[in-house]
Amino acid sequence: MVVPLNTWILISNFKLAYNMLRRPDGTFNRHLAEFLDRKVPANANPVDGVFSFDVVIDRGTSLLSRIYRPASADGGVPSIADLEKPVGSDIVPVIIFFHGGSFAHSSANSAIYDTLCRRLVGNCNAVVVSVNYRRAPEDRYPCAYIDGWAALKWVNSRPWLQSPKDSKVHIYLAGDSSGGNIAHNVALRAVESGIEVLGNVLLNPMFGGETRTESEKRLDGKYFVTLQDRDWYWRAFLPEGEDRDHPACNPFGPKGISLEGVKFPRSLVAVAGLDLVQDWQLAYAEGLKRAGLEVNLLYLEKATIGFYLLPNNDHFYTVMDEISNFVSSNLCSVLLLGFLVLPFLSAASGNLSKGAFETASDWEMCEMIAAGVFYALHCQISVKGGAILR
Amino acid sequence: MGPYDSSVSAGSSSSSGSSSSCSGKPADTIDGLLAGAGYRVRSSELRQVAQRLARLETVMVNAPTEVSHLANDAVHYNPSDLASWVDSLLSELHQPEIAPDPSTFSDLNYIAHTQAGHVLVNPMVSHRELSAGTEIEEDSGIRLVHVLMTCAESVHRGELSLAASLIEELQGLLTSVDGERGIGKVAGYFIDALSRRVFAPQGASLADSAFENAVLYHHFYEACPYLKFAHFTANQAILEAFSGHDCVHVIDFNLMHGLQWPALIQALALRPGGPPLLRLTGIGPPSPDGHDSLREIGLRLAELARSVNVRFAFRGVAASRLDDVKPWMLQVNPKEVVAVNSIMQLHKLLGSDPSRGSPIDPVLGWIRNLNPKIVMVVEQEANHNQPEFLDRFTEALHYYSTMFDSLEAYSAQLEKSLAEIYIQREICNVVCCEGLARVERHEPLVKWRDRLGGAGFTSLHLGSNAFKQASMLLALFSAEGYCVEENEGCLTLGWHSRPLIAASAWQAMPNIHSHE
Repeated sequence: MVVPLNTWILISNFKLAYNMLRRPDGTFNRHLAEFLDRKVPANANPVDGVFSFDVVIDRGTSLLSRIYRPASADGGVPSIADLEKPVGSDIVPVIIFFHGGSFAHSSANSAIYDTLCRRLVGNCNAVVVSVNYRRAPEDRYPCAYIDGWAALKWVNSRPWLQSPKDSKVHIYLAGDSSGGNIAHNVALRAVESGIEVLGNVLLNPMFGGETRTESEKRLDGKYFVTLQDRDWYWRAFLPEGEDRDHPACNPFGPKGISLEGVKFPRSLVAVAGLDLVQDWQLAYAEGLKRAGLEVNLLYLEKATIGFYLLPNNDHFYTVMDEISNFVSSNLCSVLLLGFLVLPFLSAASGNLSKGAFETASDWEMCEMIAAGVFYALHCQISVKGGAILR
Repeated sequence: MGPYDSSVSAGSSSSSGSSSSCSGKPADTIDGLLAGAGYRVRSSELRQVAQRLARLETVMVNAPTEVSHLANDAVHYNPSDLASWVDSLLSELHQPEIAPDPSTFSDLNYIAHTQAGHVLVNPMVSHRELSAGTEIEEDSGIRLVHVLMTCAESVHRGELSLAASLIEELQGLLTSVDGERGIGKVAGYFIDALSRRVFAPQGASLADSAFENAVLYHHFYEACPYLKFAHFTANQAILEAFSGHDCVHVIDFNLMHGLQWPALIQALALRPGGPPLLRLTGIGPPSPDGHDSLREIGLRLAELARSVNVRFAFRGVAASRLDDVKPWMLQVNPKEVVAVNSIMQLHKLLGSDPSRGSPIDPVLGWIRNLNPKIVMVVEQEANHNQPEFLDRFTEALHYYSTMFDSLEAYSAQLEKSLAEIYIQREICNVVCCEGLARVERHEPLVKWRDRLGGAGFTSLHLGSNAFKQASMLLALFSAEGYCVEENEGCLTLGWHSRPLIAASAWQAMPNIHSHE
């Protein structure tokens, strides 16, 4: 299996552009970053059954969010008054989405994230709220979390987002890379507040720590990402003087807290097998499990970062199916899934330590023995839960 | 270094072994998935682009100082055209070409996933935050919008008596919302426009005395950055186009107070190698009461030019409509380099009448025949020229809501009100007028690109230097919330992620039948 060419181009382009934006002194070339970022406007005309519009959640911090909704059955253009029309069906999941970019890059209106959010709407029959949180290094920890929290409160208090069945807003938090990290932290904040978050979806979430893990050493510089750039982003985000064991970076590390007994939402965590920070992501999932929390871990052996940005690989479809299952209240299949993943994961981990990737170029990837494992997993997912997913 | 000329497409250079299209084969498709990410790459060029990216990476890894050069000194253009962006970076580098290792790519096996590239060309609309007030306030706001849209619909269908009664209802509803801000304010203007259309169609267009116009324009200029952005973006591009030339001629399609030109004159005064001889031809409406306002402005600009030692000549051309201007009036001299500057003027030529047809085509024709080095076009980024009234109304409601929202940050109350009246005139023209009287026929960038391309112009890209300058000036002088965006070689200025005006630069395509 290989990385599709257009994916390789997309991620390489980001890698090279981002290289130019990070300055050695820790500052960031924001003007060039905004110039290079491909953005799209909101569009209240439905496109492929989804329309979008922007709202200001907090004028003081210029906190914008882009709302994505399924178009009505006739596909007509909603009038201004219809944009915030109450949601229709019995239960409508509302996914609060935090885009990735290692806390420094991208925006809610970046083309790649606009596209991803639109897919989530169609896939999950959900409303998606994509939060344009403040970014590092101009706005360090905890600004992004504060913005996420503001968005959560805003979503929770919109009457038009309440599901008719129980007049409550059915909230899920989701994010990729730094967005995944933000989702975790906002969920943490929500626990103390009484706002119920029904689930967290973390795609390649950004976590780290002071020690260098095995995956970091093995994959440093191999698949688009280097340890050096990871370190730069943590230095840009964390408070000055703090190291990577700060709980924002390392939630279950030496300065972390246990979530035992905490009413933290269930989580779906997708880990790419070629992501150098996977050991931290796996440790995160472990930390949740140790606290007795429900975790659905998706380990995608041959996925690189950004696999969910283009629908040209199996991992994309697998993850979209999983997310769809996760936000429909199909508790049964989720539990079964968790049960299924673990034995496959332990079988696969034996293969990982082989030096299979030492000489791999960015494009060529070796045949993975575990490919069969992955495919089997996919089939299991399709059968359990009673619904045909693809 | 002038703006990058997009007609020189580095992407079209073939590399051995690639199957790029040649004449006789069907047109290339753009990779649909990359298009969804905002990048235009031809499917047949994917491999080449990948190779170049790999080459660029090798250089960057081997020479970190090059990276900072690329970031700080190089000017970037049109990042959507990935192939030419990468090529421009490669050409910026001081390293000798590093030949790619052929074995790296030989086993490449990719899945080319093309789907019909779906480009969003629909009118852009964005949601306005309804006034944050009490629940009652919010409900009134929603009801107001509902009735407003119903009223517009009835006007659209010609049911004028229904429209009239709805207008009465609207005026009643207005009293229960805050008319000073938010939806109340915007709705107020639109209700006013609808009632002019319904009750007084003949006198619908607001009488525009040139003096009033000038005062309102001035306050609009001060209260929000749209015109300032237009001016400094245009000046930057014109300055670059004039680089190395000694005789230059700017043709301004709407002189007004000439606010754009002092900055250009000063920049030319300071340019390395000394200033050129600058001619400025300012077009404007004839002055009603005998005094020649064009000449007055010309004199003031001449005064300024003299004070900074720039040789300057001014000529005023009085014309009430742009299509009344004939090229001979501009007296373009073959030795000089011409810049045409059109700030919110071209859309006025899009109306047509049975006898004259649409003036835009002949005007674009004579502009092209002037063989200008640069044509600077700034237009409202809106789709207010749609044939159906209801579509125009809806689009205008979104557009002007956003514009009013951006004004709210401006503190000086009197100036803000005058700026709002300036905007109100545009609204009235879009909503109340038809036929030749409707001059505010705004069209979005996507349509201007087609029109100008079809008229024999090619795009000159505005680069990261212009972008940075615009962003920095905005940060200094305007409220937070304005944003500059790059859009395939053009720059837009918007409020809260909704682009409101777009600036683009053009030059005449080489004329194969040129008469020199």
